[in-house]
Amino acid sequence: MSVDFLLQQTLNGLSFGALLFLLASGFTLVFGLMRIVNLAHGAFYLLGGYVGAVTVAATGQLLVGALAGVLVVAALGLGAERVLLRRLRGRELPEVLLTIGVSFVVADLCLALFGGNPMSLRVTGPLAGAMDLGSMSYPRYRVFVIAVTVVVGIGLYVAQRHSRVGAMVRAGVDDREMAAATGMNIDRVFSGMFVFGAALAGLAGVIGAGMLSLRPGVDVDILLFALVVVIIGGLGSIKGAAVGSVLIGLIDAFSKVWVPEFSYFTIFAPMAIVLVLRPTGLFGRAA
Amino acid sequence: MKNALMPRRAATRLALLGAGLAAAIATPYATSSYNVSLITLVLIFGMLAASVNLMAGHMGLVSVGHAGIAAAAGYGLAWASKNGHGIGAQLLFAVVLTLLVSAVYGLVSMRTHGIFFLMVTLALGMVVYGLAYRMAPVTGGENGLSGIRRPAFLSEYWQFYFFTLALFVLVTLALWVVARSPFGSVMRGIRESESRMSSLGYALPAYKFTAMMISGSVAGLAGVMAVWHAEFVSPSSAGFLRSALAVVMVILGGTGTVFGPLVGSSIVVWTEHVLSTHLERWPTVLGLIFIVVILFAPSGILGGGSAAVARWRARRATGRPQPAPGAEPGAPPGGPARPPADASTPTASSTTASSTTASSTTAKGQ
Repeated sequence: MSVDFLLQQTLNGLSFGALLFLLASGFTLVFGLMRIVNLAHGAFYLLGGYVGAVTVAATGQLLVGALAGVLVVAALGLGAERVLLRRLRGRELPEVLLTIGVSFVVADLCLALFGGNPMSLRVTGPLAGAMDLGSMSYPRYRVFVIAVTVVVGIGLYVAQRHSRVGAMVRAGVDDREMAAATGMNIDRVFSGMFVFGAALAGLAGVIGAGMLSLRPGVDVDILLFALVVVIIGGLGSIKGAAVGSVLIGLIDAFSKVWVPEFSYFTIFAPMAIVLVLRPTGLFGRAA
Repeated sequence: MKNALMPRRAATRLALLGAGLAAAIATPYATSSYNVSLITLVLIFGMLAASVNLMAGHMGLVSVGHAGIAAAAGYGLAWASKNGHGIGAQLLFAVVLTLLVSAVYGLVSMRTHGIFFLMVTLALGMVVYGLAYRMAPVTGGENGLSGIRRPAFLSEYWQFYFFTLALFVLVTLALWVVARSPFGSVMRGIRESESRMSSLGYALPAYKFTAMMISGSVAGLAGVMAVWHAEFVSPSSAGFLRSALAVVMVILGGTGTVFGPLVGSSIVVWTEHVLSTHLERWPTVLGLIFIVVILFAPSGILGGGSAAVARWRARRATGRPQPAPGAEPGAPPGGPARPPADASTPTASSTTASSTTASSTTAKGQ
């Protein structure tokens, strides 16, 4: 086992973990504030990826593709929140079940619009190709994914800690009645957060489409990863999502090489251990 | 107020059950083999949905991973069959795998509740799916295992239908007994208030584990029947879609009702196998139906129906309008026919806290 091999698998794990963080952060933020487990998050990812891939194919601009993916999924999130979820506000189980219905519809419409053949985002320009890392080379795009995620992660942290909106969100997480009593429009904060979470899923879809191909069923696969990450990290915690993403990304990368038959099992085992020892996750608070 | 309607209501119910059973027995003589095979499938998925319903309806724990247990049983049977074992050994493999996987589900999920339970079971189901998909030497990977023959006495479609029907009746009866037992009362107590049941001295994890074992056994049975029906098993039988559809069946029919899973299973199987031949976008239709039911008929078709009937009866009996929908059905308190739990959904867990918990404590005191 060479150093190159270790380095390469570590980078694979980190870049996949980075993608997982983009995905899981939206998932966990929505849960933290609204107590909604959005099982349509994977379908949002898939839709964002398809829209991004198609747009990039048409324009050749990754930025335009990312914008298109984010906007479409955010609009869908807004619709789902305003028209459907709002009617069930505060009833956790029906809300989750409703998102299952939404995921059926979105995934099926993706199949109708974009077909069943695998599709991926064609990376061009400076991000294409490989970069030189001493004795080995590594795809530039994967390094770019890590960079994007670091920027988004720092942005989320700063926004949550030091901005007015972040303060409102933290207040809503702590005690939504009290937050509403201070005069803030908690309803609008909720809607905004759901749309923001959907937008992050859309962004993850576009970014991820350059790394992993899109096809029917990816929505469920990716949802499982998001679930495992937030169960390990603790639902509602950004820090937990970060730690969980890196952990699961690395475990997945190495287990795919070492024990390919059990690669699903290896991400499940840490989840089971965390659940038994600490049911609220590493950084989660008691529900 | 035990009014004179009670015996008549029970008689009506028995008559309906008898008519339903008679119709079910007459079915193979009246319709094509394709339809009989479809109805067999309805019964099989009805059993799977009933296993989800036991925990969802009475304990408030919605599992989105039960297809994983069913598939494990199916794979056990199929693998043993492929490797030349006799029927006894095949069933033994199925039983052992069912119990093993149910125990893992139970152990991992027994300390969770609400949406956490849902997520954990979802993840567990995906793990079974992943193992079925990746362990190709044993499971056949993506292609699955095909050519699994039913035992000789079930080889004809109508024989298999009658066998499935008999099993379905037995399973429904068994689950009904479980739900009516003191254990069922404890389950409903846990649904209404975990903290209260815990302070009363009930070991919640043990009850959740036991419920998972009972529910998992039924799911495993459905899994074996599904493999015999299709003569084939593949990873998708453990997939999210399968598990989610079982939940959809439960919600559509009416969570916690005895025959809701069967109603839900009829709708889903019809959509998936009949509507799909006319309409390519059947998952969208199913998703929309599901969304509409959750939003506007949260107690499902049977739950909503029986509540409406109860309101109508009460209005006729008292001659004045009764409370709006969503309230407890207007059945007389203490009536043995249909306790309040039957018409309530997981949504009711936070609002209707008292009655069932009280009855479960008396059950323990006896």
